[in-house]
Amino acid sequence: MSDKLKQIINKQGEQQVGAVEHSADIIQLVGFIIGEEEYAVPILTIQEIIKPIRWTRVPQTPAYVLGVFNLRGSVIPLIDLRTKFGLRPMKHSDETRFFVLKQGDEVAGFVIDRLTMAIRIKKSDIGAAPDTMAADDSMIAGVGKQEGRILTILKVDKLLARDF
Amino acid sequence: MDEFQEILQDFLVESFELIEQLDQDLVELESRPDDLELLNGIFRVAHTVKGASSFLNFDVLTHLTHHMEDVLNKARHGELAITAEVMDVVLESIDLMKSLLSIIRDTSSDAGVEVGDCVIRLDKISGGTGEVHTPVAQAKAPVVEEVQEVEEVASSEEPDYENMNDDEVEAEIERLLQKRQQEDRAKREAKIAAGESVLAAPPEPTEDEPTPAPKATPAPAPVAPAPVAPRAAAAKARQDEEDAKAAAPATRAPAVVEQTIRVDVKRLDHLMNLIGELVLAKNRLIKINVDVEERYEGEEFLEELNQVVSIVSLVTTDLQIAVMKTRMLPIGKVFNKFPRMIRDLSRELNKKIELEISGEETELDKSIVEEIGDPLVHIIRNSCDHGVETPDVRVAAGKPESGIITLKAYNEGNAIVIQIDDNGKGLDPEMLKNKSVEKGIITDAEADVMSDKEAFALIFKPGFSTAAAVTSVSGRGVGMDVVKTNIEKLNGIIDIESEVGVGTSMKLKIPLTLAIIQALLVGVQEEHYAIPLASVLETVRISKDEIYTVENRSVMRLRDDVLSLVHIGDIFEVERILDSSEHAYVVVLGLGSSKLGLIVDTLVGQEEIVIKSMGDYLKGIEGIAGATIRGDGGVTLIVDVAALMQMAKGVKTKALSEETSTSSKKEKSKASDYKVMIVDDSKTDRMIMRKALEPLGVTIIEASDGQEALNTLKQGDHNFDAMLIDIEMPRMDGYTLAGEIKKYNKYKNLPLIAVTSRTGKSDRMRGVESGMIEYITKPYSADYLSSVVQRNVNFKSEFL
Repeated sequence: MSDKLKQIINKQGEQQVGAVEHSADIIQLVGFIIGEEEYAVPILTIQEIIKPIRWTRVPQTPAYVLGVFNLRGSVIPLIDLRTKFGLRPMKHSDETRFFVLKQGDEVAGFVIDRLTMAIRIKKSDIGAAPDTMAADDSMIAGVGKQEGRILTILKVDKLLARDF
Repeated sequence: MDEFQEILQDFLVESFELIEQLDQDLVELESRPDDLELLNGIFRVAHTVKGASSFLNFDVLTHLTHHMEDVLNKARHGELAITAEVMDVVLESIDLMKSLLSIIRDTSSDAGVEVGDCVIRLDKISGGTGEVHTPVAQAKAPVVEEVQEVEEVASSEEPDYENMNDDEVEAEIERLLQKRQQEDRAKREAKIAAGESVLAAPPEPTEDEPTPAPKATPAPAPVAPAPVAPRAAAAKARQDEEDAKAAAPATRAPAVVEQTIRVDVKRLDHLMNLIGELVLAKNRLIKINVDVEERYEGEEFLEELNQVVSIVSLVTTDLQIAVMKTRMLPIGKVFNKFPRMIRDLSRELNKKIELEISGEETELDKSIVEEIGDPLVHIIRNSCDHGVETPDVRVAAGKPESGIITLKAYNEGNAIVIQIDDNGKGLDPEMLKNKSVEKGIITDAEADVMSDKEAFALIFKPGFSTAAAVTSVSGRGVGMDVVKTNIEKLNGIIDIESEVGVGTSMKLKIPLTLAIIQALLVGVQEEHYAIPLASVLETVRISKDEIYTVENRSVMRLRDDVLSLVHIGDIFEVERILDSSEHAYVVVLGLGSSKLGLIVDTLVGQEEIVIKSMGDYLKGIEGIAGATIRGDGGVTLIVDVAALMQMAKGVKTKALSEETSTSSKKEKSKASDYKVMIVDDSKTDRMIMRKALEPLGVTIIEASDGQEALNTLKQGDHNFDAMLIDIEMPRMDGYTLAGEIKKYNKYKNLPLIAVTSRTGKSDRMRGVESGMIEYITKPYSADYLSSVVQRNVNFKSEFL
């Protein structure tokens, strides 16, 4: 009995080791659409994804800061990525979602047009951001290519950084 | 290792607490050098730290504290007079001790601070009296190079020291034990006298007060070995660890007797957050209760519900107060560091300054206590540097040689007042004005109309400094600016009174707690804002013609005063969508001595709100102090009254009629740029209208009732050029719809065309009243409808 148990435990251990090794060069992202393009952020930076809810406008802020909303007792800023990326604002549809991103203590909600899917992508399939955009203040961490799609991977810390 | 860490943490917490008290004691000691109690207390701190640090192998710290202990020990036995010079060195060594402790806290090691110089000086002091010296230190602290230099006085005297100290120890312990026994006996007798039961009294005298008993008593332990051990350990310093171990727990003994426990601040913060949530839930419950009452008036179960709601609300309030109290700290925590600061400053500035402190037991929320320290430091430094004159000036002015700064704290209503008075030269309003004009902070004209109070407030302007020269103490014109921002951050008010030659008095009025406040909720257009009730003086309802315009500013008469007004919508860039009514409400705000009337559309009510931060991303938005979550789950922003008053100065109130339809009357380049909304509940009717208009090529959007039409309009996705409205509709009929639409400034000029089978004259009249401009009766010909629409949208003929 205990031998069997040991075997199982060992097996599990091996699997875990394998998984870790495997995931070392794989990145998990979540893709979403804004305007015509597909973007992605690392899955671990996403606190949650919710359907649009009521928000309150905050004065003295740029147009892309829609305001703040109540996420189970926390007051969280809401940022419209369409406006931020220089696109015409669009009415929220059934597919619109709030992406709540978190890094460290910083939390903010981002309005996106629609979700696509969770993506596993090899590190080697991610290229650097185009030279013209590679500057430190760029929001782009890299460009991923997969099955003919092009994903713009965003820097979450830049998204969450206040720039006004 | 973990165990070590735990001990280390305890050691640090204890040491910092001891040191906090130490500063004050030392300064007091200087004025009362003979106070044995004080000396013993100070000695004990040095000793405790030494004992524990040697156990924890912090050699540098041990080395330093050992020498401090020596000096203090001599002083304690009257072998050394406490002079200012001695004090300087002792204070310096305490500073070193502090920085060593901080380093230990950060790095768990005591390397990196140079204590050698100070140790030498300490040694000189104790050596200077020719008595004993401390070879022990040299032996035990080979880490520190400077020790060699001290050696001159050294080793031969070692046995002397040992012997003497041991004797002393014995004698001291004897004496103390006797004393304590006497005290205890006295206490017990007193208790008996008071009729209390003595049974609880311990058979052996266990001391709860930190008296000179060096190592307190570890237990009701019988007299001899235990107490002596740590003492000896101290004397011999580099003793085996067991003794030191005995010392460490022993010193912690008094804490057990105090009926307190140490709680991680994070837990309290968490508790406070939870209470905040509870308050929000309570607000919501009250709101629901009101709704239910309205709906089920007269039902019996309401009585019960009411009771429960009021109990919950009562208990929540009590709970909130109770938790608030656990977070309260006496302000003495902050005040403690000032005697030392004043002492250092007065020596540095060659002035004689005394500090009188009262009300240090007044309690404040922890977060405020932490914030209040810096502003107070600046104010007191300022008083020392600019307020109090040098002794010769003072004498010449007929004042006592030494200046007095009084620092007191007391409660006033829901706030605490911290008052800082000095009897220095006072503030000269004229001088302040001149200086400010010189520096371009204010204009001549402004200076002329300025009251004295306003002139005093100039010292808080950034870049302002009255000091002729920048000293290390003040004069850079930064400090007081910081004071103002910090106090305002705490929702506090600063009030200055001053008389030239007599002195200055500064009052800081600060709310007891930051987390939960009473607020007045106001509405503007469709938005709500919360204004801290503490800043609201009154509210008045006025009609539009009571507002006058003076030099582009709106003002009104409030009894005998003229009150300047500003519309909240102008400050917070609220879009004027809804037409404002004939009446407005003015919320009179007061902060310090300034007043401002804030025009709002509606007063919603008074509510207890929990202040939530908006995170780093939205921190510091001008005019907004934070946000709160309301009973309905929505977020309401909290107005920062101080900032708002500042912003109001820059806002030119727009004449209320100025608002015109800026709605994009863009040039139409093709027929489909014209947009017409058809509102009819019958699909067939909509189809008929659509068919009639389609040949024109205009864009048609449909809505099946008034409510839907209004929503479409509100969303603002389209700019409509005309609307065709049926009158008979479910949910919202055509008249109501027209009335609602006309409330919006933006749609004042939107042509509304009624399309109906109601042909009565009164129907037409109602249509006109509600804002319809055309009235088409069913049935109609397609051409007629088309032509009416063309006419109303100014359809360009070239598109036909």
